[in-house]
Amino acid sequence: MKELVRVTINGEARELAVAPYRSLLDVLRNEAGLTGTKKGCDVGDCGACTVLLDGDPVNACLVLGVEVKGRRITTIEGLQPAPDRLHPLQENFIKYGGAQCGFCTPGVIMMAKALLDENPDPTEAEIRFGLAGNICRCTGYTKIVEAIQATARQLGGGKRGA
Amino acid sequence: MSDLDVIGTSVRRPDMPGKVTGHALYAGDLALPGMLHGKLKRSTIAHAEIKRIDTAKALAFPGVRAVLTHANVPRVLHYGSPHPRSVSVTKDQYILDTKVRYWGEAVAAVAAESEEIAEEALDLIEVEYAALPAVFAVEQALAPDAPLIHDGHPGNLVADPVVVKRGDVDRGFADADLVIEGTYEMGRPTPAYMEPNVCVCQWDADGKLTAWISTQTPFMVRGILAEVLGLPYHKVRVLVDHMGGGFGAKQDLFQTEFLCALLARETRRPVRMEFTRKETFLGGRSRHPGTVWLKQGFRKDGSISARQARVTFNSGAYGSHGPGVTAVGTAALTSLFRCDNVHLEGRCVYTNAPIAGAYRGYGVVQTYYALDIQLDEAAERLGLDPAELKLRNAVREGDLAPSGHPIVGHGLEDCIRRGIEEVGWPTLRHRARAARGPVRRGWGMGCEMHGSSAYPGIKEQGNATVRMNEDGTVQLFTGTTGLGTGAHTALAQVVAEELGVRFEDVSVVHGDTDVAPWDIGAFASHTTYMGGRAAQMAAAQVKRELLERAADELEAAAADLEVRQGVITVRGSDRRLSVREAIGPKKGIPSAHIVASATYRPTKSYSFAAHFVEVQVDTETGQIDVLQVVPVHEIGRVIHPVAAAGQIEGGIQQGIGHTLTEDYVIDPADGRSLNAGFVDYKMPLSMDMPPIRTIMLETAPDPGGPYGAKGVGEDPIIAIGPAIANAVYDAIGVRFRHYPITPEQVLQGLREKHE
Repeated sequence: MKELVRVTINGEARELAVAPYRSLLDVLRNEAGLTGTKKGCDVGDCGACTVLLDGDPVNACLVLGVEVKGRRITTIEGLQPAPDRLHPLQENFIKYGGAQCGFCTPGVIMMAKALLDENPDPTEAEIRFGLAGNICRCTGYTKIVEAIQATARQLGGGKRGA
Repeated sequence: MSDLDVIGTSVRRPDMPGKVTGHALYAGDLALPGMLHGKLKRSTIAHAEIKRIDTAKALAFPGVRAVLTHANVPRVLHYGSPHPRSVSVTKDQYILDTKVRYWGEAVAAVAAESEEIAEEALDLIEVEYAALPAVFAVEQALAPDAPLIHDGHPGNLVADPVVVKRGDVDRGFADADLVIEGTYEMGRPTPAYMEPNVCVCQWDADGKLTAWISTQTPFMVRGILAEVLGLPYHKVRVLVDHMGGGFGAKQDLFQTEFLCALLARETRRPVRMEFTRKETFLGGRSRHPGTVWLKQGFRKDGSISARQARVTFNSGAYGSHGPGVTAVGTAALTSLFRCDNVHLEGRCVYTNAPIAGAYRGYGVVQTYYALDIQLDEAAERLGLDPAELKLRNAVREGDLAPSGHPIVGHGLEDCIRRGIEEVGWPTLRHRARAARGPVRRGWGMGCEMHGSSAYPGIKEQGNATVRMNEDGTVQLFTGTTGLGTGAHTALAQVVAEELGVRFEDVSVVHGDTDVAPWDIGAFASHTTYMGGRAAQMAAAQVKRELLERAADELEAAAADLEVRQGVITVRGSDRRLSVREAIGPKKGIPSAHIVASATYRPTKSYSFAAHFVEVQVDTETGQIDVLQVVPVHEIGRVIHPVAAAGQIEGGIQQGIGHTLTEDYVIDPADGRSLNAGFVDYKMPLSMDMPPIRTIMLETAPDPGGPYGAKGVGEDPIIAIGPAIANAVYDAIGVRFRHYPITPEQVLQGLREKHE
């Protein structure tokens, strides 16, 4: 019953046996052993499972595992440029306090990555719009927005300011 | 303040790298060899006897390994929330009962090879119910002919009513120039932590249970698992590393923990059980819905001559923290705004509604919502500015706090004064109002105070062990859980400061009941206050021993030594020695390591806040938007400014939700859940959240906490609610005495005002 799915995850070619009813989220967490992507609702409401599918942000719980054949997925585990280095978003989430319990954080950071890839110079309103699908219950978003703004500045965008 | 090296600095939190890279492990991330998946079957009726449960078809389903019902689990009456030493909670639950008391209560559990199989099997379990009359509202449950929900709780009272009396209210009301009374009604917000409840259980061949659980109270969970399953404590090990929020509610057990352990025992395989998001609503804990009837007498000068209140909370089907929440919420009305004559009553009532429990603010959110709004009402009737009226009545140094302790310092007055100055309150109050156009703006302010620690309801203790390694690094052993607030970082800062080593040289060992010192749990805004003080005491002992050892080598008296940032110096000389040299092996011979433990039994301290809020009300749609919040908090010494401010901002987010959009609702006809999900249970998200300008004062440090630190976790959720309601009144002149305040109600209120 399981299908063989060849997919590139975080730059690595993977071959996974996937039941046709399994979501990409469950495939990542259970079959691929990548538990950084979190399950907050499993029905597309909370954004904790946001990953990049061919560079675009998706809720992994709303994609079937068998749909990703031949495609490219980036999860939170794939964001570090090197094992001993953090992505500027990760550094800034630490510095500015953009994470507390950390459960929404992987999804928020992946969404922020997608946002900055598309719009390196977002206004605060654009950042807040970009995060509209990501629920954080700890921070009030203030420090998440600050961390993303700081990253935009650091990466050369952020000219439009706060 | 500059004499401190680590306290007051936003050091890099050691829990963060794992969180931002996805490598932090939460209980649900665990996969053990041979692990099965458990699921709960939940009732489809709110109140019934279970006449028959047939599990034969489920057991025969391929891949199903075990099915449990009330017929084959231990029948031990237990505390739904494990504080057996306290009067905060009620002993009224079984793992699975022969009766169900709310819609969605678990009646059976399945373990299977996959989650999908377990779910299929749930549908194959046949349950026949004999319906009992159900009551969902407090008035129904208190009616003389109401069905009895729990044996031994006549009148459906969870506990005896709380009565608090000081002075003479009759004389106080006779003294009053103005008497105001009103009833304030609160909805049912839920904590909605991002990580659904989860546990993984495994038994070893020697009969020892290991349970990975997302809980705020691992030692309490150990105790109750041991008690109910009939095990000694050393045969139960509870582990919790990272957890995805709790906000108070994850002090309870949710039936799953017992069932997960029993399924694992029966199958001799590890079992994981994870709630769906829907189940976090159905089987989770909400804040107590309820009413506060409040009557106060005021003299012309604004002083309060009498205060009388009746607090009534809907506990839902089980007691959980009902007694504690009722006691704390009711007693809170003795204070905040000074009054010598008070008569307060609090009741907590069983119904067949979902279970209410502990949630950030613990009863005080509800009662201070009423109290603060009524002060606003009084200010208008007395012709006084509301901030001025609250300032005049603000609790201050030496006043008796709700716990019976004298208040330390003038924290509330400081917060109000600073907020007035910060937002330019007098100018705002007298500004020209837009007389035209559909959108009106208004400003409001609200006040609160909240205790660090659960004293006197619980006589708590904080424990810590500090060990210095032979390279001069330090490990703090603590049993307290990290909910995400940065508590472990704060404790490590305290140890580094006290011991005189660099922050990077301290790490925290936690999350294992087999290893860490006993801990009561992470709740009641007490982790930094109580656990931090215990850590400071243990660190001080280690430091004493360290300096004694260094004294010989430095040829000085220990009393003349000082240690800072890992370097020991002799006062008034240039002789120095690193901590590493002082403790390291001498001539190849290892020196005895230094380890010290401390226990701290706190009483209580209070933190304070005043929140200033601007709202915008669209009079055509009824939509209320919060435009900005200026929270001013007095929390004693601030240990990690970024983490403290983050907690304040997050509390404000939840408080805005409570006040405007969040309400977990059930069908009043059958108790069925109506909005158990994030689409229908509306929380403020990134686009709804206003800018927050957080101000933290350090004007009233408390000698009970480390370096004068006090709690912060619960405070920010309390003052924001009344501040919003008061701002709405300022904007449109309609007074709301309930939450959440919905757009429909705004429109209705405006219509009534113009009639």
